[in-house]
Amino acid sequence: MDSEVVGGSFRDPSGFLYTRNGTLYRQVNRVFQDRLAAFVGSGLYDELARDRLLIPHRPVGLELAATAEACAVLQPERVGFISYPYEWPFGWLRDAALLTLELQERALTRDFTLRDASAYNVQLHEGRLIFIDTLSFEPRVEGAPWAAYGQFCEHFLVPLALMSMRDIRCGSLLRSHIDGIPLDLGSRLLPASTWIRPGTALHVHLHAWAQSRYAQGDSRRASRKRAVSRQAALGLVKNLRSIIERLTWTPAGTEWADYTLDNNYSQAASASKREIVTGLLGGAGPQVVWDLGANTGEYSRAARELALRVISFDVDPAAVERNYRRVRAEGESGIVPLLLDLANPSPAQGWAHDERLSLESRGPADALLALALVHHLAIGHNLPLERIASFLSRLGRSLLIEFVPKSDSQVQRLLQSRPDIFPGYSREGFEAAFRRHFRIEAARPVAESERTLYLMTSCAAGRA
Amino acid sequence: MYIDPTTGSLVLQLVAAGVMSGLAMMSRVRESVKSLFRSLDPRGGRWTQKL
Repeated sequence: MDSEVVGGSFRDPSGFLYTRNGTLYRQVNRVFQDRLAAFVGSGLYDELARDRLLIPHRPVGLELAATAEACAVLQPERVGFISYPYEWPFGWLRDAALLTLELQERALTRDFTLRDASAYNVQLHEGRLIFIDTLSFEPRVEGAPWAAYGQFCEHFLVPLALMSMRDIRCGSLLRSHIDGIPLDLGSRLLPASTWIRPGTALHVHLHAWAQSRYAQGDSRRASRKRAVSRQAALGLVKNLRSIIERLTWTPAGTEWADYTLDNNYSQAASASKREIVTGLLGGAGPQVVWDLGANTGEYSRAARELALRVISFDVDPAAVERNYRRVRAEGESGIVPLLLDLANPSPAQGWAHDERLSLESRGPADALLALALVHHLAIGHNLPLERIASFLSRLGRSLLIEFVPKSDSQVQRLLQSRPDIFPGYSREGFEAAFRRHFRIEAARPVAESERTLYLMTSCAAGRA
Repeated sequence: MYIDPTTGSLVLQLVAAGVMSGLAMMSRVRESVKSLFRSLDPRGGRWTQKL
């Protein structure tokens, strides 16, 4: 069977990722043969894989190679869900930066170096962050500067500084700048006070100035006879780490951060909702669940008891941050908290629309949870119910959705400041719209509330 | 090397590495001076606590 190259795996001539019969492989090209042998032979690979900092792999036969350039084929442990830095909460990006620095530090102590410092190389896997690019390590040339220093600043330092010191929403700049936020842009957007902080002054503002000053590439004159010793390289890593560690953000004061504590459920309604959710979801038997309005992940955790993996999406950076901190603090595996605006989900982007996948092309999930969500889409975003049903039917094979009627106090809040232009927003209208794309399997009223939970089966997802 | 390290980043890194080395050297000198005073101090280092 033919191999299918992973869309985002083409920049590095050393090798690439591909799938064959549904199994993921990494081809190593002959040009990188010596460096891979040195990396494995040094013991650095074993150390990093043992400590779960680098994804482990097992070598497989060369007959599984995708092209004749191959000198080795590796089968890496597979990460369940690939996510992108523009979908991560602040803490995840910060931890990814610290992981990258730890890898560079460990590499330096064995006379190796990280060839790149792309944030896309870090994923959440089994409850902790892990580096997934095995070919990023190579022997260090004595005196050579860190080639990935500029990339580290653009992928990590600038976005984190902007999110911490300007506005948390600056993280979304990573969506339009998939190669990292340019230093000159970061320098212009950061507050003036960052000029008197040594870390940002040096690594962002002066760095941006140096890039502009040496844009013509006259590096030989600029760096003649100067080298970076291993000690100085380690000092740079230490300095960057202390700067990243001082960048913080407190997840509070946003609309949804306290939603779990500030909703209109009585205790009995909450208990009833949880019982219905677990009962209906358990019957569907999903392996992978996408919780589309997860808030801090209360129902994601209930779903996790029934499924292998739950992708826990929310639009609110504070709620996702809290969810992530809980995953990290409790070492929870199988829950992946991500930022998602369902009204404007992650698109396919990068080269040929294929480098970074859209949300839809990373699915379909076995089951979707859409709890207390539909009224925000229909009334908050003016999305017709039929269009909501159409999109959800492509995202998941089963759907567990909560209908919140107009008489509910949360919907009344949405309608407080605007005319009611939603005559079709009723239980009958909801069922009619969703019947065009789903088969309704069950409908259960939530006790002490006017809400109803539905279990539906998609007529579209997974048919391709 | 397959990513472009950019000349500006290489130059800045040399500057940063120089600054780091300078700071590390100053720190080592400071520690040496402190330990010298400590060894001369008959009262067990109380002179040097404010250094």
